[in-house]
Amino acid sequence: MTMEKSQSLQLDQVIKGLKSPAGITIALSIVAAVAASIDNGFYVIVNTIVTGGMWALVAMGLALVFGVMNIVSFVHGEFFMIGSLTAYFTFTPFSDYLMDNPHPVAEALLPILAMLASVIAGIVVGILCELIVFRPLRKRTREQWVMNSFVITLGLSTFIINSSQFVFGTDFRGIVSYWDYPTLSIFGVYISFDRFLVFILAMLVLGLFWLFMKSSKFGRAIRAVSQDETGARMVGININGIQTLTMALSSALAALAGACLLFMYPAYPTVGLGPLYNSWFIVILAGMGNVVGAAVGAFVVALLQVLTTIYIGEGWDYTIPAACIILVLIIRPSGIFGSGVRGILDQ
Amino acid sequence: MQVLWDVSLTVDRGEYVCLVGPNGAGKSTFLKSVAGLVSPMGGRVEFKGNVISRLPGNKICRLGISYISEELNLFMGMSVQENLAMGAFTVDDKSKILETQDFVFELFPVLKERRKQFAGTMSGGERKMLALGRGLMSSPVLLLVDEPSLGLAPQMTATVFRALDVLKEKGVTILLVEQNVTRTLQVTDRGYVLEKGKIILKGDSKDLSQDKHVRKAYLGI
Repeated sequence: MTMEKSQSLQLDQVIKGLKSPAGITIALSIVAAVAASIDNGFYVIVNTIVTGGMWALVAMGLALVFGVMNIVSFVHGEFFMIGSLTAYFTFTPFSDYLMDNPHPVAEALLPILAMLASVIAGIVVGILCELIVFRPLRKRTREQWVMNSFVITLGLSTFIINSSQFVFGTDFRGIVSYWDYPTLSIFGVYISFDRFLVFILAMLVLGLFWLFMKSSKFGRAIRAVSQDETGARMVGININGIQTLTMALSSALAALAGACLLFMYPAYPTVGLGPLYNSWFIVILAGMGNVVGAAVGAFVVALLQVLTTIYIGEGWDYTIPAACIILVLIIRPSGIFGSGVRGILDQ
Repeated sequence: MQVLWDVSLTVDRGEYVCLVGPNGAGKSTFLKSVAGLVSPMGGRVEFKGNVISRLPGNKICRLGISYISEELNLFMGMSVQENLAMGAFTVDDKSKILETQDFVFELFPVLKERRKQFAGTMSGGERKMLALGRGLMSSPVLLLVDEPSLGLAPQMTATVFRALDVLKEKGVTILLVEQNVTRTLQVTDRGYVLEKGKIILKGDSKDLSQDKHVRKAYLGI
């Protein structure tokens, strides 16, 4: 009896979920992806999933920083750039050395080392930004925090881009591939080993991040601060500590994405702007500060871009999502996944 | 803006003390400044002989002071269980956390029933209980409670007051801010009356409930 009841309750929830804007969007996306695959080949879905995974890493960091610290960040793309630069300068010297002295194990592990270096660089830069820029600003700001922090991230972004240009110049620093392995074939779609492994890595990191936020003490504390800062202080959470942790996490995720995509996006001073715009599309679509929404939204935006490239043409892949964002903002300003209950992990 | 002027108040270990007064007298501000959520313009707060007035809220919580605010400040997007777990943020001993949680569930059985429910979807009374429960999870020595009966049905109010009695029996020191003066003066040991930011009366709760001014202004007799 109770079994039946709980089952019908679940069914009700599924139907209710499908009728919500989020449900409609996800269902429409899946239908569109399947239709486009039948029309154009399975690579549509593979491409969407692979790029979506990467955008999810970048967008989640952006959503996190907004949800926890109320910062409308435009410096997020520069963490991506720092990640790709670090990966380049870690990877190429060793890779050149290995050219002359082949060693299979080292060749397999070197890309991972480069990505780790980027994550560390991301953490360091994130913490520096928090300590040098955001914390002093927070102390001095009484009102208008959102506006102040927005303007300061714009300034930081310009500063980092120009410093990078000053130190490293405007050269494109890219690599052909991380792993020199043969191309894989999945369901008749050819996909480079790099793309495949990078996708697996992204999914792994997303999973770990989810676990961290859901069940670790400090992940919970981050969510607590995003939901009620005073409440968090009341239960003994050190707000400054959590804000530093959030900044470090968010910039590390962006830097990792930068490192992972080095073979597609060579490092140069303004390489972060594309990912930044993309993440903003995703975050606005998903609802500000909603991390789960950002992860799902990343795949929706990726699909939109893949479809745009196929059916409308290359070069329109920023225009069409931007147009959709304007529509979303007019029709549903809180975003498709926006909900009444504020919290960064709310579905 | 200065809200409080020369307010002096002492609570001894194990005492159940109340602070009453009209709206806007500064009762909540007083509790907030003890809890470290607003920094006092002057004066000092001492706890177990140490000055704590300049400490931030999170450090004050670690000293064993729990503040249950009027707005509750619950984590709306978290389940009852997660809210309680957050209450024990400063406690590292897992078995101690479970023990306190059992005590909270015993005090408010409805929280046990609704363990998985999100705080944001609970009724006002249940939220009050959850806020009290969360405040107890750190096993505080001193409990600061702000208007626990505000907006509650009489039955819920009774439950909350009964819970405070149990805590008092357990030896928890309580400083209660309330607008339900009749009831408060019945259950507490001592009381202070705060009006326009100043303490105008203090004494044993029994005596206060007989006082002419209190009877006229708060008890409506």
